[in-house]
Formats: sequence, C-alpha cells, structure tokens
Amino acid sequence: MRRGGSITTRLITVLTLCAGIIIGLGMLLDYRLSRDELLGRLQRESDDTVRAAIIDMENWLDSIESATLLLARVLQQREYSQEGLQQMLRDVVEVNGAIFGATIALAQPPDAQGRSLGFAPYYYRHNGKLAYADLAVAENNYQQQKWYTDTVAAGKPLWVEPYFDETGGRVLMTTFAVPVYRTDATGTRFLYAVLTADVALTELHHYLQRLRLGGNGFGVLLSRNGIVLSSRNPANVMRHFSDAIIEDTNKATLQEMFAAALSGEVITRQHQCAHVPGRCVMRLGLLEPTGWPVGVIYSEDEMTAPLRAFELKIALTSLLTLLLLAISVAIVTRRLTRPLTALAQASDRIAQGDLDAPLPQAQGDDEVARLIQSFGAMKKDLKSYITDLEAATARRSRLQGELGAAREIQMAMLPHGGMANEQDETYGLWARVAPARSVGGDLYSYYRRDRFLFIAVGDVSDKGIPAAMFMARAISLIQQLAVTAADPAAAMNRLNDVLTSGNDNCMFVTLFMGLLNLDSLELRFSSAGHTAPSLARGHGVTSLAQESGPALGLAPDQVFPVNSVQLRAGDRLAMFTDGIDEAFNLQDEMFGIDRFNQALLASRALPITEAGDSLFDILGAFAGERPQSDDICLLLLDICPGAEADLHASERFALGPRLTKRVESWLLEELAQRQLPHKLLGDLKLLTEEIVSNVDKYACLPAGASIEISLQATAERIEIEVRDAGIAFDPLTGARRAELGATIEEADVGGLGLHLITALSDRQSYRREDGCNILRITKLLQRAPG
Amino acid sequence: MELTTTVTVDDMNSVVRVALAGALNTDTAPDFEKRLMAVLDGEQQLIVLDMKDLDYISSAGLRVIFKGAKQAKAGGRRMAAANRKPHIDKVFEILKALPDMAVFANEQELDEYLDAMQARTRGQ
Repeated sequence: MRRGGSITTRLITVLTLCAGIIIGLGMLLDYRLSRDELLGRLQRESDDTVRAAIIDMENWLDSIESATLLLARVLQQREYSQEGLQQMLRDVVEVNGAIFGATIALAQPPDAQGRSLGFAPYYYRHNGKLAYADLAVAENNYQQQKWYTDTVAAGKPLWVEPYFDETGGRVLMTTFAVPVYRTDATGTRFLYAVLTADVALTELHHYLQRLRLGGNGFGVLLSRNGIVLSSRNPANVMRHFSDAIIEDTNKATLQEMFAAALSGEVITRQHQCAHVPGRCVMRLGLLEPTGWPVGVIYSEDEMTAPLRAFELKIALTSLLTLLLLAISVAIVTRRLTRPLTALAQASDRIAQGDLDAPLPQAQGDDEVARLIQSFGAMKKDLKSYITDLEAATARRSRLQGELGAAREIQMAMLPHGGMANEQDETYGLWARVAPARSVGGDLYSYYRRDRFLFIAVGDVSDKGIPAAMFMARAISLIQQLAVTAADPAAAMNRLNDVLTSGNDNCMFVTLFMGLLNLDSLELRFSSAGHTAPSLARGHGVTSLAQESGPALGLAPDQVFPVNSVQLRAGDRLAMFTDGIDEAFNLQDEMFGIDRFNQALLASRALPITEAGDSLFDILGAFAGERPQSDDICLLLLDICPGAEADLHASERFALGPRLTKRVESWLLEELAQRQLPHKLLGDLKLLTEEIVSNVDKYACLPAGASIEISLQATAERIEIEVRDAGIAFDPLTGARRAELGATIEEADVGGLGLHLITALSDRQSYRREDGCNILRITKLLQRAPG
Repeated sequence: MELTTTVTVDDMNSVVRVALAGALNTDTAPDFEKRLMAVLDGEQQLIVLDMKDLDYISSAGLRVIFKGAKQAKAGGRRMAAANRKPHIDKVFEILKALPDMAVFANEQELDEYLDAMQARTRGQ
C-alpha cells in the first residue's frame, strides 16, 4: 500500500467500520434482551433458593409446632400418670427427629412447705441417643425458667427467645412452648402444664446453611428481640445483632430493616460488608411460624457473575467477529483492488516514460478489467504517438539545424556576420541585422574603396526563407558592385536589371545605396523605394530629403535619381529598414520615424556602439511582449570630428614655364599658416611637383590648357588633388615605372617620379570623373611627423 | 627657388667640381642639364657633384644626374655625389639611384678619394 488514502485502505476502513457498527448494534440489542432475561432468571433462581430454604425451615418448625400442639391437645383432654407422661414424652422425642428435646412441665404450685419441686421430665438427644433429665430440681427449677414464666405469662403458644439450657441438654437452643389449660368441674380454666419442644440452634444453623447465595453469601436468623440465632460467624450467635455488627451505618440500616421485617415486610438493602466482595445486598423477611426475622446477605456481583461472564462472552464474540470481518474485508478488498494498485504502479512508470511497463492481467469482464483494457489501448496509442512525435521532433530539429546553418551562412554574407563595428580616422560605422525569423531579408553592406565608402542598406519583400534566398542573391550582386561602383545611380540601375531577370516570383528589394567621399564628405546616394536615412547633426535629427526610384527587381531599365548631401564632422547618419519604423507594440501603435528620430537624438552623445545597442533596446522596450514581426537592420555612420578639412584651397595653373615654381609658391603660401615642419613641406613640395610634372608630360594637354590643384588639410592629414582634362590615364597603374636599383648602364632615365609619389605619400587614388583625371594623394601628419 | 651652379675645374687632378645650391626641380633641371652636359664635354676623369647647398631635388633633377652619370660611365669616367643633405639623401634612397656612383658623405672623404686617385696616377 502506498498511501493511507488509497482505495484499498479506505474500503477496508469504511467496510470494517460499517460492519463493526452493525455487528455492535446487533450484539448490543441481543445483550440488552439477554441481559434482562438473565437477570430475571438469576433473580428467580435466588428467590427460589431463598424461598425453598425458608419453606423447608418453616416446614421443619411447623412439624415441631404440630407435634407439640398435638401433644398439648392430648394432654388437655386426658389424664396420664407421671410414668405415662414420661413414656409419651419419650416417644414424641424419639419419633420426632426434628425435636432436640422436649419436656412436659406440670404447673404445680409449690406446696405449703415450698418443698414441691413440681414435675418436669426432659428427654433430649445426646450423642445420638435419648437422654433424660429432670428439670424439677431445686436449683434452676423450671418454674423459674424464663421459657416457663414467659409462656405462662403469654397464655398461648410461643417461641421462646434462645437461651443456653443449663439444666437439660446444655446447648444453645430455642423452645416452642405451649401452655396446656384444663377446665375443672366448675368450668374454671386452669393451667395444667407447659409443654415444650426444643430446637438446638445448631440445627437451625444447619437449615440456614441452605440459605447460601453465591460463594460468600450467608443466611442470618434473628430472634424477635434481635438476638442472632444463626449467622456465618458462630461467635455472633446469641449476641444482639447490633453488637455483632461493627459498622455504624450498617447498624442503623439493620435496625430499620429489623423493624420493617418484624412488621411483616420483606426488605432489601445494600450494605457495606467486610466479608462479601462487591456490592453487598441484604434481604430480610419474617419466618412465619416463629416470627423471627430471617435474612440472606450476598454479593450482588457474585449473583450477577453469570451476567458478567455473558457480557465478556458477548464482547469477545463481537471482537472476534469484527476481527474476522476486518480480515475478510481486507482480503476481499485487496483482491479487488490488486489490479488497480498494479495499474496505478504501471501508470506511474508510464508517466515516467517507461512505455513498456507491463499492465496487470485483465480477468473477467468487470470494470477493472475494462479499465485495464482501455489503459492498454491508451498505452499503445501513446507509444505510437510518441514515436510519431519523436520522428516529427527529429525532422523539426533537423530543419532547425538547417535553418541555423542557413542563418549562419546568411549572416556570413553580411560584412562582419551581421554585427559590424568599424572605426576609421574619418568615420565610425556600426551595423546590425536582427531577422524576425531564423533567416531574413534585411541586408546591409559597406565597402571601403580608397577614399570612398560604399554603403548599402536594403530590405527584401516578405520574410523567412524566400526573402533570405532573394537577399542572398541581392547581397552578392551588391558586393560585386561595391568594388567598382563609382555612381550609385548607375550601380542601382545595373543591380535592378540583374535582379529583374528571372524574377518570376516578383520578389523585390528596397535599397539605399550611397557612396561617401571620405575626403570631401559628400554623400551621393540613390534610393530604390527605401526609407530615407535620418541625419543627426548638432542638436537636431532630420530625415534626409531624397528623390527615390522604384524598388529593385520589378521592372528593367529604371532610372534612379542621385541625391547628394554634404556631411560634416560630428554628423551621425542612420540608415535602417522598415522593421524599425513599422514595429508595433501590443496596443497596435507603430514605432514610426518620429519616435526613431527622437531615440536617435537621445543616444546622440553615446559612442556609436552604445548608441546602436540603445536604439535596439528602445525598440525592444517599445514592442514589449509583442514578437518582432519584421526583420530589422540598422546602420549607423559617424563622421569623425577630425574628418572635415579646415583648409580648402584650390587653384588653376596654366601649363607653361615655371609651372613648378608657381605651384610651389602657391602651396607654401597656403600652408604657411599651419606651421608645418620643414621636412614635411619638402615632401609636399616634391609630391606636388612630381604629380604636376607627370601631368605636364603625359596628359597630352593642348597649349594653354590648365590643371586644377586642390589642397585640403585637417589636423591629421593633408590632401592634394590634381585634376586635368587630359586623356584618361591612371598613373598609379598605367604609368611606366623605372626599374630601381639598376646599374647606370641599364638604369632608366625616366619614370622615377611615381616612385617618389608612392613612397612619400600615405594614400594615392585615381579616378576619372566628368572627363577629368583626378589624382589624389594623402599625407598623414601623425605618421610622418616633421 | 632657383638653382645656382658653380663649376670648378681642377685639371691637375683631372677633377671637375660642380657645386649645386638651391633647388633642382622640373623648372631648373633643363638649365642644369645643359651645364652638366657642358661639363661632361670636358676631359676630366671625375665629376663631383657637390650638394652641400642643394636644398631640394625632384625626380626631374635626379633624371639629369642619372643621365650625366650614364654618359660619364660610357666615356670611361666617373661621377660622384658629395655632401648630400638628409632629405636629398632620402630621395636618392627612395629611388635607389646610382648604385655604383661614388658617394662622399663629406669633403674629407672626397679629399681622401682624390689623394688615392693621384697616388695611383703617379704610380703609372
């Protein structure tokens, strides 16, 4: 059994309790009925015992009285000689076994001399024989005896108070005395004799012995004066009952009972008895012939002992029955619930995942059997369900794994795996993509090419795998374009044409594509239906005004306008996808551009990385519990404080004599304020001369043509740009260079200038723009201190 | 900055000393080229370019020196550079110019070189 609350335990308890109560009630009813009957029987038995004993005694006393009275009648009517009287007396005693002794005491008044002692022969039993005594003796003459005087005084038959017979039998006795009257000739009635019959108290005691109730009960016989005639203790015989009793309370009770008994009442009282255990009861009545109170003292407990035995028997029987019942109930219940218990254990094991746990055998067609069958069916179903589920889960986790790998691949397509953070002396760039699902359609790209930074942020229509596939295609193309793109509009146009071909699904991508000139800080950008970037400048944030083309991938041969914005040092530009401004919260409110611009402003003072994190946090806090519904891409671009040139100078120089001298003079004049080291100035002079002379030599410019030289200086660097309208020629890649280190015979006399340009400047770039060759070199001030 | 060229001929030692002062750049190189060619027309065995006062040199200037050195070598003569300032030296260094051109760091080195040449001539 597992718990106290199990069905088995409850069944056993409840059934046993119910049966116990029923059995108990039955037993109690039976006991009540039987008890009354038993008590009645016991009462009757004790009454019968008492009555029989008393009747016996009364009969016995009656026989004594009858014999005595008969003899008295005879004596009253006939005259006998003294011998005759003696003989008759002797016969009476001899024949009548009940009589201990008898006398015929003639009433003979003393003669004149007072010598006559009277006549009173006395026969009595002694050692089984009749003995004779003459009571007419001088000492203790019978006529002074109490029995004689009392009888004479009473004038009628009476039982004399017990006494010790001194003269006769010398035993304790009581006497039935009958006065015999005769009538003389004159008709005068006179006392002729007193006839007595003695009863030994031992004989009375013998009768009284039969008045025993229980082991410790005993009979009591009192005289009319309250003298104890017979009792349990022989020492009390001949004493007044009040002397024989020690306890005062009993004395009072006994007095009362004694009085009541004398008046003929049968009285029953409880007592405190030293010799009788338990409740002591005394019943006292009157012995009819003698008028002696006779009683019986007994222990009620002893009398009701059979009842208690009966009670014990009943209790034991009940207990045994209950025990047997409990055992039977337990066995039956266990047998009934054993399959249930086994089923419960099996279900526990099943719940722990052991689907092969054996079920108990279903026997018969009862409810339990059906339950087990249902359980078996359930187990089977569960097993197949779990197998299916495992297969589904395996499929799902494989798909998850594939998606995870796809996500990694997709993120790897983005610069720095979707979390870019790059710092340059001119700019800081931070970007992050957070797809709504495992993979997404948002993209960003950037590529540094010489003094240009290519930036693209795009959003493929739809989400999930289709968007990711299209995004993969788009980003590959964008990254190819990034290497060569000189004009965002043209790049956008090419990208659109490529994406459009074979795009039957009509997937499209909105794209921001910009090219930042890191020297002039001019950002030229085109938009293919993409949200305009937000520009944080000073203490404000504005969305850039833009002229946008259509989204990419829908129709070929589109024109994408070029927008331009001049960035400044300290600017922060945010390019993002609509996953940000079209994010919703649980109240269906949209995040919106305004909120985004405010957040951008709020995080303005933070470093770019923290600002990016903060913007994502703000967006997350806004969306709250609502799951991200669209991919999110954010790219932040900071223009570093030192990036902007504080010196802008530009001059046109006509080709011709003393060109080097003129250029040098201008250069030194422009840089005069900057207190540059002499050596650096020498380098700059040399660089400028080499570039200019190169152009002069190779650009094939017509006479009178001019070149334009621009100078920009920041605290960190000096930039020199030379622009000429000559034939397209990139000196950095196309110019002939002298082989260095050759012997004099083999050494090339020309082509030395370019070596100097690359050796003395930190960066060189060439571009062809608007029909002009533009060569730009940068000299970093920190790296080449004077 | 202009270039001033002073040519001193020491026929006894067969040495011509060309002292350069100022800047040898694209502007001044053509004139210097003429002067140097004129010097090379002479008979001297050693042409020493004294760069003690040369402040600036560009590839155009170096080209002229290159050309001169080449011609001298073709004529079995030698050209040497002396007293180059650090930034002049740097340009030479960058262009790994004239690897077998004698280079004298200062006057003393040049004098020692001339003494050695003289001794050799006398010994012949």
